Amino acid sequence: MRDIFFDLSVRSVRLNFLRSILASIGIVIGVVAISSMGMLGTNMQLEVKDQLSAGANTIVITPDVVRMGPPGFSPQVSSSTSSSSSVITKSQLSKIKLAAGANASAIIPVYSKNTEFTLGSVNGRGTVYGIDPDYITKFLTIENGTNIVGANDALVGSSIAENFELKLGSRIKVGSTTSGSRTEVRVVGILKERGMAADSVSTDNAIIVSEDWYTNQYGGENEYPQINVIVKNIDTITDVEEAIDTKLNANEKTPVIRIRDASSMLSNITSTLSTMTTFILAIGAISLLVAATSIFNVMMMSVNERVQEIGILLSIGTETGEIRRMFLYEAFILGIIGAVVGGLASLVIGYSVVSAMIGTTDYFFMPESIAYIPIGMLIGIVVCLISGLYPAWHASNMDPIDALRAE
Amino acid sequence: MTDTPLIRLADVSKVYHLESGDFTALNHISLDIMEGEFVALMGPSGSGKSTMMNQLGILDVPTTGKIFIDGKNVAGMTNLERTHMRRDEIGYVFQKFYLIPLLSAYENVEYPLILKYKKRDTTGRATAVLKSVGFDDEMSAHRPNQLSGGQQQRVAIARALVNDPKILLCDEPTGNLDRKTGFQIMDILCGLHREGKTVILVTHDPKIAEYAHRTITLEDGRIAKS
Repeated sequence: MRDIFFDLSVRSVRLNFLRSILASIGIVIGVVAISSMGMLGTNMQLEVKDQLSAGANTIVITPDVVRMGPPGFSPQVSSSTSSSSSVITKSQLSKIKLAAGANASAIIPVYSKNTEFTLGSVNGRGTVYGIDPDYITKFLTIENGTNIVGANDALVGSSIAENFELKLGSRIKVGSTTSGSRTEVRVVGILKERGMAADSVSTDNAIIVSEDWYTNQYGGENEYPQINVIVKNIDTITDVEEAIDTKLNANEKTPVIRIRDASSMLSNITSTLSTMTTFILAIGAISLLVAATSIFNVMMMSVNERVQEIGILLSIGTETGEIRRMFLYEAFILGIIGAVVGGLASLVIGYSVVSAMIGTTDYFFMPESIAYIPIGMLIGIVVCLISGLYPAWHASNMDPIDALRAE
Repeated sequence: MTDTPLIRLADVSKVYHLESGDFTALNHISLDIMEGEFVALMGPSGSGKSTMMNQLGILDVPTTGKIFIDGKNVAGMTNLERTHMRRDEIGYVFQKFYLIPLLSAYENVEYPLILKYKKRDTTGRATAVLKSVGFDDEMSAHRPNQLSGGQQQRVAIARALVNDPKILLCDEPTGNLDRKTGFQIMDILCGLHREGKTVILVTHDPKIAEYAHRTITLEDGRIAKS
């Protein structure tokens, strides 16, 4: 059964086809704006989250930088205090191992230092990481080549490899360019691009050498600037952190170590991104506001052109609710046209925008991203209905006698 | 037929509050119309004919006084009840036909049935009523703007009849038609009166008023002759 009021609305839209289509275009633009902006923001969040969550199961432990003196020392910052005390000691490492226990799948001491190096005749700067080769593969991916075996073997990050055109077997002189004794390492593997790593091991612009090579070169054996604890189950990460904190910090006047993980950074960044998404969504919403005005305008025109018709309908016994329904249907039809066209356009435009601005469409069809299309469509239809409320009310509240007399 | 009048106006006044002062369109009118009567309402323009018509058609309520239709006090009804009474008990025929331009002749006639039963007509009632005013299926498919004035008025009469109302309210039904077509329309109305409808006819044409059995003449909002 077709509702006659729906038929009347369809015919009214058809009668004023051009005008109705023009009004719907406003909704199309609004829907496209909301959907595309929403998808853009979401894709951005998803991508960043994915990049960061690589190290999300890792607890990063560093010496507390506020505290410069050795344990028991008054925590006054003194120039004579050597910086060598701001490391994690071997006993602290044992305590960490004890505290983490079976929950940790790996406890990885990470030595690191900024250094200069020379490749052929070109000088460069970067970080040297000293990591036990057994642990390297636990959190780093070797894209090309093999892991460190020999004493002078080294891995290099993707950026270094690219910038200096390094190949497997290339030799790098490590150490200050002014120093006389510089050791050479041999590239045996190139690491996969890592980006901004949550576990504070940024390898893209770094050289990774074995722990032994590092301590031989720079000393400081068993004085670790950083310990990474990889937990077996990410859900236990907070418990493990608490256990370590209790074991190492509880008996001290001030904390001796800092414990952090990627989750807080991750939530910081994602909340920043979601604020941005909301902001760009708000910009999209402005276009819907404009669309609402044009729908309102067209609906008022439709009502004003049909005053006499409304008078006829009312005088022969049409209920005011039925008149309202007729005009709300009309707004709904405009909304549906705008939403469907807008939804399809969002698919195309959203895809292009995401692909152009984020560089990947891997996340485009994920539910949280693609959901913005039905959400945008729904908002478009709702906006139309809201815009139609007053015109419909206005039509239904006319006095039939006055309306009939209108020409 | 009973002794109770189908329409009773008891001391009805209608006052319009205009910026230039109050205008009394109807001045203490009392009137009974029995079921089955054929009444012509005459009078010069400004005499209150239209106001009277709006009162009888319960499109409006009186300022003072009471109107009873079929024994029910119109002023005491809600808007919705008045709407339902217009739909079910009164058929309207207007000078300018007032068909719904977006609907075909058939749909125009079907429309009051949809209002009443909240569904499309499957009983063939609309087709039957259209046939009784001389419309076949092909003509019924036309939109009002494709029909002549006489044809439109036939459709309007069919629309007025489709819910089988007791009262047929005709406001200058021949006013926009040539004489010959006008008399054809009057013949239809006479036939309906013979079938038992109460017909109230507003006109300023004495020739048309002759069809009625009772003529009420209004002057300055009062009944001058009954």
